Amino acid sequence: MQSRGEEVLKTAAITKIYPDGTQALRGVDFDLARGEVHGLLGENGAGKTTLSKILSGILRPTSGDVFVNGKKAEVRHPKEALKLGVGMVHQHFTLVRNFTAFENILLGTDVNPKGAGASKARQEILALSKDVGLGVELDAKVEDLALGAQQRVELLKMLYRKVQILILDEPTSSLTAPETVDLFKAVRRLKEEGKSAIFITHKLNEVLEICDRITVLRHGEVSGRIEAANADTKTLARMMVGRDVVFDLVKEPSHAGDPILEVSDLVVRGNRGEDAVKGVSFAVRRGEIFGIAGVEGNGQTELEEALSGVRRPSRGKIKLGGLEISSLSNNEIRKHSVGLIPEDRRQMGLILDMSVAENSILGREWERRFRGQGIALAWAKVKDHASRLIRSFEILVKGPDSPAKSMSGGNQQKVVVSRELTDDPDFVLAAQPTRGLDVAASDYIRRLLLKTRDSGKGVLVISADLDEVLQLSDVIGVMYEGKLLEVGPTEKMTRHKVGMLMGGVKE
Amino acid sequence: MSFDVTSVGAISVISLDFMVPIAMTAVGEIFAEKAGVVNIGLEGVMLTSAWFAVLIAWTVNDPYLGLIGGMAMGVAFGALHSVISVWLKGDQIISGVGINLFALGFVPFATFAVWHVSGVYPPVSFSFGRIAEISTPWAPLSYFVPMSVVIAILFWYVLYRTKWGFQIRATGENPEAADAVGIDVEKTRIIAVLIGSALAGLAGAYLSIDVVGQITKDISAGRGFIALATVVFSGWNPLVGLLGALVFGYSEGTATWLAGVPEVRSAIPHADYLLGAIPYIATLVVVAVAIGRSRPPKAVGIPYKRE
Ligand SMILES: Nc1ncnc2c1ncn2[C@@H]1O[C@H](COP(=O)(O)OP(=O)(O)OP(=O)(O)O)[C@@H](O)[C@H]1O
Ligand SMILES: [Mg+2]
Repeated sequence: MQSRGEEVLKTAAITKIYPDGTQALRGVDFDLARGEVHGLLGENGAGKTTLSKILSGILRPTSGDVFVNGKKAEVRHPKEALKLGVGMVHQHFTLVRNFTAFENILLGTDVNPKGAGASKARQEILALSKDVGLGVELDAKVEDLALGAQQRVELLKMLYRKVQILILDEPTSSLTAPETVDLFKAVRRLKEEGKSAIFITHKLNEVLEICDRITVLRHGEVSGRIEAANADTKTLARMMVGRDVVFDLVKEPSHAGDPILEVSDLVVRGNRGEDAVKGVSFAVRRGEIFGIAGVEGNGQTELEEALSGVRRPSRGKIKLGGLEISSLSNNEIRKHSVGLIPEDRRQMGLILDMSVAENSILGREWERRFRGQGIALAWAKVKDHASRLIRSFEILVKGPDSPAKSMSGGNQQKVVVSRELTDDPDFVLAAQPTRGLDVAASDYIRRLLLKTRDSGKGVLVISADLDEVLQLSDVIGVMYEGKLLEVGPTEKMTRHKVGMLMGGVKE
Repeated sequence: MSFDVTSVGAISVISLDFMVPIAMTAVGEIFAEKAGVVNIGLEGVMLTSAWFAVLIAWTVNDPYLGLIGGMAMGVAFGALHSVISVWLKGDQIISGVGINLFALGFVPFATFAVWHVSGVYPPVSFSFGRIAEISTPWAPLSYFVPMSVVIAILFWYVLYRTKWGFQIRATGENPEAADAVGIDVEKTRIIAVLIGSALAGLAGAYLSIDVVGQITKDISAGRGFIALATVVFSGWNPLVGLLGALVFGYSEGTATWLAGVPEVRSAIPHADYLLGAIPYIATLVVVAVAIGRSRPPKAVGIPYKRE
């Protein structure tokens, strides 16, 4: 074991109670050394984001102290944290969507993107992005960028500020395997420069790969700390969940029936008017999971939106159980026993300011079972429904009346998934279904998708997580530059082959 | 009835006069909304500021101090509105409605309390006349006309070309993002509201001190609301806002001019009332056309809370 550098960050007995009474942290002691990458693990809702936000000055601890470079630091505002060299890349990006990447990187600095220093700053950013291998289109609006690219903008934003301590809250949850490799390269470079990082993820092999030390949080308390060299995934999972976790997903052989979803020659335009999906045809049969793998930004989002009725295709047919649905709205499609789990839960899946109960019936509020007297909704029934979902999906939230935004990211996703799967839909479209979910929750949701399949329903999974696609699917298609490059049964699609196809290489 | 170059000139001078208060108020409101705060109490701000400007001017017998007083009243309302809606995170609409209701009650009451006149048009008139003007072949033109053009250009420049404006726009689009990079969201919003309200206050003072030369309890005559419509029409761009104000100015100016033509008066019964409705009809038309196409700042109207 090599010796650690001097301590750059330390917390002593940090406690955080949110205004609604939720106790998110209970006396957390944490420390970070120079040149160290310190992993932070924990189930959804364990308090990882809360701790990060306290360190980066966004939240104030209820009690406890933060020390930076050995000195007690009063970080009341992100500005002060940044001045101390502490910067955070948020789990849910904090980008201004209709500003360009360049503008977002410069926001809050001394440089005016329309002013004198702009071209110098641009050179610096370009150099920086080449240096650490994080390429972005600087003049593209953030709303037109794929999530992976938005992530890179966030990273560059912090690197441009020359932070010494980088807090990365689930940076890989929207990255593909090659992007993750690039990110890790970047983090290692920063390490060499003597910078430190706190690295949050739900992927256990990632912490083992990149971290020096790992701290596990459980219900707001440190439940263990271990040198990465002495850890393995089993130990970590046990530390997180408090019991042994079985990872082996049992997959029965599929009994595929007739097609439930048939897509033929589908063309969909993207936000910039270009053809994002360029003539895609495939069929999802009852009783099977069709997995679409692919690096994000290759048309998956547009495909998902076209299938959900959010974006109208410019050509082609979509048939659901024989019924042409390409011109139906999202609302109409939902009435045909369809479960839709959108990739961007915060924009498309939830209304963050509404309560969990309200969110739990979004898009289903017309159903008879929620109808009350006259034109009123039966709120008691809605709340019962929400409470049932909270119980059966183990959603960590104060109660059905709490706003969706008060939940941790993983639990937000559970609300969406539970809402979409609970009615036994004939067809389920799940886009990035386990992004940001902890091991236990991901496992749970994957099991649910398999169960849906086993009961004879059709499931389409679109995921940038190669392992997930390989694990779940019966049939795999790889999307690249708007086309389905190859479709084949999982047995024939090896990990290597799919990986190459994702990069556009056909063998 | 003769309609020639002279009448066009005369209409234009009146119209430009009417453009000024709408342009200034709209530009100020664009500024505040770009930071994320809407103030539907502009009508009340204008009205109260118009009254206060007259009070000051009448007390110290100086129209310029009156204008400054009106502006100060605008700032005071901005302070009130930002305390409620930015600092205490209250509802911006309720705060704005409160300001309007206050003004409706306060101005007639205070006018009576100070000058002991009431009724529709309290005869408190000043002899300042137009306080500063450029002569034209038709009628004198207020310096406020070129000034509001300068203000619109200046505010456009600040919003779209300076670092500060960049931060203001970020605050109105995504306060979390602004906060995360160290921008003080509350401070930015409060300052933008204060500046925006100052312009509404100045617009009110201009009406009472410069244009009419007296205070009436309905001197603002819906101009605060027309300014809000102009903001939507402009797509939150001060330069387009100036253009919108010009359209409203002409609709009001033309109506006013027509109402003074004897032939029109005799031809149309109740011509005053009918013609007086033109600016409001124009507002409806403009908003109906513009509303779907212009995109408001994303976080406008939503108080920013961290936890
Ligand atoms: N704004 C808030 N108001 C009230 N409670 C909150 C708020 N934000 C988070 N919480 C609660 O605090 C706890 C910790 O949440 P936090 O977001 O820190 O979890 P996390 O470990 O980051 O989880 P995830 O892996 O899902 O992102 C959770 O119980 C959550 O519901
Ligand atoms: Mg989190």
